[in-house]
Formats: sequence, structure tokens, C-alpha cells
Amino acid sequence: MRTIVLIATMLFAAHLSQAAPSKYEEVMKENIEKLYESRTIEEYQTVINKFDRIAAKETDKWGPLYYAGFGYIMMATNADEVSMKDKYLDLALERINAGKAIAPKESEIIALEGFVHMIRVTVDPATRGAQYSGLSMQAFSKALEINPDNPRALYLMGQMEFGTAKFFGADTSEACTKIQAAVSKFDVYTPDSPLAPAWGKGGAIAASEMCK
Amino acid sequence: MKDIITIFSLCIITMTGLAQSNISGRVTDSRGEPVIGANIFIVDSYDGTSSDVQGFFSFSTSEQGSLALRITYIGYETYEMPIELPSEAVVLDITLTEKVNRLDAVVISAGLFTAGEESSREVLKSLDIVTTAGATADISGALNTLPGTQIVGETGRLFVRGGEGNETKTFIDGIEVLNPYSSSAPNTPGRGRFSPFMFRGTSFSTGGYSAEYGQALSSALVLNSKDVPDETRTDISLMTVGADVSHTREMKEGAFAGKLQYTNLTPYFKAVDQNLDWDRAPQSIEGNFMLRKALNDMHELKMYSNFSWSDFVVYQPRIIYTSAKDKMDLTNNYQYINTSLRSIINDQWSVFSGISYTKSNERTHVNDEKYQEREEGIHLKTVIADDVSDELSLQFGGEHFIRDYSYENIVQPDEELGIDLGLTALFAEMDLYTSNRFVTRAGIRGEYNWMQDMFYVVPRLSIAYKTGENSQMSVAYGQFNQTGRNDLVRIKNSLEDERADHYIINYQREENGRTFRVEAYYKNYDNLIKFSQSYNPDSYTNNGDGYARGIDVFWRDNKTLKGVDYWLSYSYLDTERDYHNFPYQAAPTFASEHNFSAVFKYFINALKTQLGGTYSYASGRPFNNPNLELFNSEKTADYHDLSLNASYLLKSNVIIHGSVTNVFGFDNIFGFESSNEPNENGEFILRPVKQAAPRFIFLGVFITLSKDKSVNQLPTL
Repeated sequence: MRTIVLIATMLFAAHLSQAAPSKYEEVMKENIEKLYESRTIEEYQTVINKFDRIAAKETDKWGPLYYAGFGYIMMATNADEVSMKDKYLDLALERINAGKAIAPKESEIIALEGFVHMIRVTVDPATRGAQYSGLSMQAFSKALEINPDNPRALYLMGQMEFGTAKFFGADTSEACTKIQAAVSKFDVYTPDSPLAPAWGKGGAIAASEMCK
Repeated sequence: MKDIITIFSLCIITMTGLAQSNISGRVTDSRGEPVIGANIFIVDSYDGTSSDVQGFFSFSTSEQGSLALRITYIGYETYEMPIELPSEAVVLDITLTEKVNRLDAVVISAGLFTAGEESSREVLKSLDIVTTAGATADISGALNTLPGTQIVGETGRLFVRGGEGNETKTFIDGIEVLNPYSSSAPNTPGRGRFSPFMFRGTSFSTGGYSAEYGQALSSALVLNSKDVPDETRTDISLMTVGADVSHTREMKEGAFAGKLQYTNLTPYFKAVDQNLDWDRAPQSIEGNFMLRKALNDMHELKMYSNFSWSDFVVYQPRIIYTSAKDKMDLTNNYQYINTSLRSIINDQWSVFSGISYTKSNERTHVNDEKYQEREEGIHLKTVIADDVSDELSLQFGGEHFIRDYSYENIVQPDEELGIDLGLTALFAEMDLYTSNRFVTRAGIRGEYNWMQDMFYVVPRLSIAYKTGENSQMSVAYGQFNQTGRNDLVRIKNSLEDERADHYIINYQREENGRTFRVEAYYKNYDNLIKFSQSYNPDSYTNNGDGYARGIDVFWRDNKTLKGVDYWLSYSYLDTERDYHNFPYQAAPTFASEHNFSAVFKYFINALKTQLGGTYSYASGRPFNNPNLELFNSEKTADYHDLSLNASYLLKSNVIIHGSVTNVFGFDNIFGFESSNEPNENGEFILRPVKQAAPRFIFLGVFITLSKDKSVNQLPTL
């Protein structure tokens, strides 16, 4: 009898100790999947709201803020009006800055910050290029400094250089080398946690196609 | 065994039976419209949901206890309410109140054009100033394609809504600039002294501006120097008119930029025929320096300085005896320095203080007569801003001007004329957002003029209302005063300030890269300076007056045609004034009734080339024919100009830029000068004021050296 009680208690304890992280992981995983599947502004907003709810509870985790930020960047790329794009990018940056406060040395967050600046450039390259391309390149370099194997930082950097070169009609080979390297890095990339960012490979492959 | 069952059932109960509560309802805004995508959740839990397209939401939670339910949505105040769980089905009807967000809210637009990068709402971008054909990278040249300005081609200055050129005041970072235009030969346009690439944003107000700006009767041009550190780079420009080199260096918490320029028009004037008889073509040396440094998190220091030296000698035929020519030799020395400190005390309070010093010394020899015109000015200013809340902000400050001006004929040094002006001003202004759709700006300015011993109090008021998602209406009213022109006040120092009242109504619509703007105004001028004999102080009075009224229309579109950005401006102006030596109220010579500009820019990606064109039209300007009875009763022919430019990207850091003004060589006549006395037949002789040359051709190569090879001068061309 005592053994049974003991086993049951142990099970219960194990359940308890597992409960908190597993629920976080479970909810995050489910929501990350939803984020990658989102296509419309409404879908993104729903997923972002969920990440915001998680972030409000898990105040020591950068993950939910990262994905909320990523969601807003995607919303910005989907929006038609420049003013709306800027608004979503502002919201993305808000999440990213909150994430940076938690994990200042996280390569992925810094790369995402560079992504925000990069999208700002695409809105109006002629006017904004001078200011934001520098900011985005700085962020990508810093992300790669922290983690040279971050394939997203390398891909985005290559993409940014590609766009700049195209805009000025310059040679894209340097940019293409980076994008190719990013594709190979995506092939060998093993995320250190199931919640780690996994996006970007498709984009990198598409970009490398443009280089051909 | 029974125990096991109990434990298991207990487990099951704790796991599933955590009494599920259902929370549902609807989220709407204050107008009853559904709020879509609001985040509704139990604080400190994962449980929650988003509202749907009708604003409805529903979710279940197993949380228990005295908790809080929170509803958040972008642009709305966060809503929070206590909730006891578990509970029977909770149905809620939630109304969110809109948060005043200065970035989204309505903005004061009456009379105002802004150019900058920060906001997507800007009517013009900084880049537009330098890529406008015909503007030759001159700030006022580009602003002259906006409605509300009149083409007065022989001056190069901004004449706004029936105001004279001196009625537009230039400010750098809020601090006054004296003599913002370079000296030029009589009836040839002067250029702005300040290079547009040093500035991040420009705000050009054609009326109704803030109480912060005084001593400007018609218009305020506010230039904001750059504050984002550039990367370290060197730019070299080789041009048909000279060369310049500039260097920007990023330093700890700041940046330094310097530019040196030498221009000499001699080779160009040799190659291209000129209408004027130059003995020595204009040449100049100019330096621009800029420093910005964050002293710590709270304080930022900025310095801006400009110096220049310019000189030319020109022969001018006399009007009656055209074989006799007057030789005019002019040398100008100019220095301007501006230092400001901006301190952000906390989220609510900030303080800005600045000081500027201007010195201009112009020596003119006309044949053997020598003249010297000197002006020194100091401007001190402090502005305190208090953001009381999202809805209310206050701004108040004080400033003091010292201006010392002298004009002497070196042959008769006793006859020195001068102005020794001291002016103290206080101003206060309030911005009140009743909602995101409605803003009121009310301000008052008091000025005490020590030279005149006069006190002026002028109110300013602007109201803007957002009529729709992309449209808004504004009205503005204001009183303005300005000490008269140096060449008049120097005769009689006790002349009072000239005055104007502005009434403006504006409608603006911006959508998908298209902007439409229409503005109507009425201006009443009073206290204008009048005289009957220009050298007799006793004949000077403030008895002049006048009015100006008109309609300005602006349309800009960079969406409809791919790669093409164009704007159209039209201004209608009806103005008359009785001032200076006018015998009665009449239209002044600078006022053309209709002004039209069409600016277009086309970037051809395949050719790596940007093409630009500007067509300008002005209807005839009045002029006086002393042989006729009526004053200013004749009109010149209409003015036409088509200017083109092209920039070609040779390499990623090398740009070739060329521009031609007045491609078709229209022989525009700006007005007529008449002889002082009648000729032997008792007739006054009229001589047309023409362009200095049929056209101006410019070619330049711009090279940028930096670590990042893709950086070039495109953004500054």
C-alpha cells in the first residue's frame, strides 16, 4: 500500500514539476506553428495576442516577445499603407526591445531587430536607405558576432546587401556568397531548443535562386 | 485498492474538474464600432482570446480565485476589471476608450509644409529638396515649387502669399539666421547659404505658425540639423562651377561633419554667353561645420557654423546713356555660428537652449563711391516643454535679440546710418488633444522692442480636425509683427513694426502615396512703412496697409505611374498694398496672380538613372511706367521655365549629375526699371530686368569614399 502511495505521490510530484515548463513549451510550440501558418493580418494578430499573453506571465522569457515581434514584422510586410507598416514595425521593435532587456546577448533577437530596420528601408529605399540600412547592417553584424552560426542573421545580411546592390545597380556577387553560405548553414543548423526560431530557410533558398 | 481509486479520482478531479468558466462578450470603441483583434485575457495566465471581426470573443478558463481580466488593443487605453472564478457563464460588454497617440493623431497642417524622414506623413521628403530640377540644390529653389510662393526670379528668395522676400525668416534648430542668402549682383538670384545636405528636416510655413516664431510677417522656414550619427565618410564633388570636399566622422556619442567649397564661375562664363557684362565672375569660398555630441543620457550638444567669402565685379549700363557703364565691385564676408543644448529632464520635461551669432560685412564700390554694410546679430533662446499628459502639452520660453546694423558711405563717413536693436520676447503655447481627431493649439507671444520702446502682444490659434481616416481640416489665425527692412529702418529708427493678420482654412487628404491639399487664406497688412522721399526721415510713417488673399492647391502622386513621382502646385493670389513710395494701394511688382509648378521625377532602374523635370509658370507681374498716369498699372509677359536634370550612377559610389535650367531659353522678363529722370523728349526710359543668362548648365561628378562601398551622395543630390 505504502509503495503505491509513494509511487502515486512521486508521479504527482513529477507531474507538478513538469507541469509549468511543459505547459509553456506546449503552448509555445502550438502557437509558433500557428504563427508560421498565419497568412492574414487577422491571423497574425490572434497569434501575437497569444504570445503577448504568454509574455505577460513569463516575464523572464524572451521567446514569446521574439515571436510577437516576428509576427508584427510579418504583419508589416502584409500591410498596404506605409503608415500601417510603420506602426506594426514600431510594435515589433517594442517587443524586441523588451526581449533584449531580458536576454541582451541573444543573437536571434538582435538579428530580428536588424530585420525591422531592413523592412523600413524597403518601404522607401531612396529616402530611408541612408539611415536604416546602416542600422540593419550593424544589427546583423552584431548578431553574427555573438553567434557566427546564426543562419538567419547571415541570410538577412545577404538579402540586405543584395537589395542595396540591386538598388544602386552594383555587383551582387558578395551578397550572393553570403546567401549561399546561409543556405548551407540552414542545412546543418540544429536548434538548441524546440522553441528556437526555425524560419528563414525557404527565403534563403528563394534568394539564392535569384542569384543564379 | 480503494485508496488508489481515491487518489486517481482525486487526480482526475484536480485535472479536469478545475471548474471551467466561460467568459464571452463583445469589445467596441466609444462610437460603438467593433474592435477587431483585441487581446482579452486573465492576468497571469495563458487563458484568453482575441476578438473577432464583429468584436465578439469567448473563451474558457480553469483559473480560480480573485483575478483580473485585461483587455488590450493598439491605440486604446488598457481595460482591466476584477473577476471571481470559477463562475457561471460571464458575458461582458466592454467599451475601450481611445488613447491619444501623437503619432496617429491629427496634426496642425494649416499653412505648413514639412519635409523629413521620420514620419510617413510628410508632404515632402528631405531628398525632394535636392532632386528637384531647376532648384539647383538650393532649399528655397525647391520650396518655390510649392503652392503659396511666387516666382520672383531675379531674387532667388521666398516670396510668400503677397509678402516680400524679407517677410520670410529662416531658423536653424529654432534659432534665427540673419542674411540667409548669398550676395548677388543686382537683379540676379542669390542662393541660400545653407546646404540642404546638412539638414534632416525642413518645415516651411506659409502662414499661421507657432508663437515660438516671431519677427516674421509672412513665413517661417525652419531647418533642423541632422542628429543621427552618419558613418565616417568623405565626399568629393567636382563641378563645372568649382569643387568641394566634405568629411563626416563618427565619434564617441556624436559626429563631426565639415565641408569646404570653392566656386568660381569664370570658366563657365567664358564658355557660355551671359547677358551681364562681368569683369570678374562671382567666386566664393565657403565652409560648413557641424558637431553633435551626447554629453550623457540627458544632454545633447549641437553646433553648426558657416562662413563664406564671396566677390564679383560687374558692369551695368545706365538706363538712358547706355554707353556709360557703372562698375560694381562687391565683397561679402559672412560668419554664422549656432550652438544649442537639448536636455531631456524626464518623460515630461525637456529644455532647449540656444545661441546664435551672425556677422555679415559687405563692401560695395560703385565706380569711385565706397559703401559698407555691416550687420551683427545675437539671438538667445530658451524653450521649456512640459508634456503634461497624452492630451496636453505646454511649451513656453523666452528669447532676446541684439542686432547691430550700419551702413556707411566711406567717402562721407559722417553720414553713417544704423540700427541698434534690442528685443526681448516671451511666448507660451498649449497643444490640447480633445481626442485623436481634434487638436487645438493656442499661443501668445509678447515682444518688447527696446529701440522703439514698444510692446507687442500677438495671439496665435490653430485647430485641426480629422474628418476621416486619411483626411483632415485645419483652421489657423494669428497676428504677426516684424521690424521693417534694414534699408528703411536705418533712415528712421523709431518706425514701428509692420503687422499682419493671417486667416487660413485648409483641407488635406493623404492616401496610398497620393496627397491632395487645398488652402484658402486672407491676410491683412497694417502699419506698413511709407515714405515720400527716400532720404528724408520726416517723410517716413507707419501709415501703409494692404491685403493678400488667395487659394493654394497641391497634388502629389507617387503611386499611379510606376517609378514616377510628381507634384503639381497652383497658387492664386490677389494682393494690393499701399507702402513705400506707392501713391495709393496697388499690386506690388513681385505679385503674380497665377503661379503653377509641375515637378516630376522618374527613376529608371535599368539605366541606373534618375530623371527630373520642373515646369514653372507665373502670370505677368505688375510694373510701373512713369509715363502713364496710373501707378503699377502695366504687366510683364507671362513667365515660363522648363528645367531638367539627370543623375547617373556610374559606380556604386560615383554619381554624375547634370542639370539645365530654362531648356528652351525663354526670354523671361521679371519687370522694368525706369530712369530716374526723363530724357530729352520728356519721357522716362524703361529697361527690362532679364535673366542673367538664357539658361544655366551644370555638370558635376560626386564621389564618396567610405568603408561601405555602396554609400554614395545620391541622398544629397
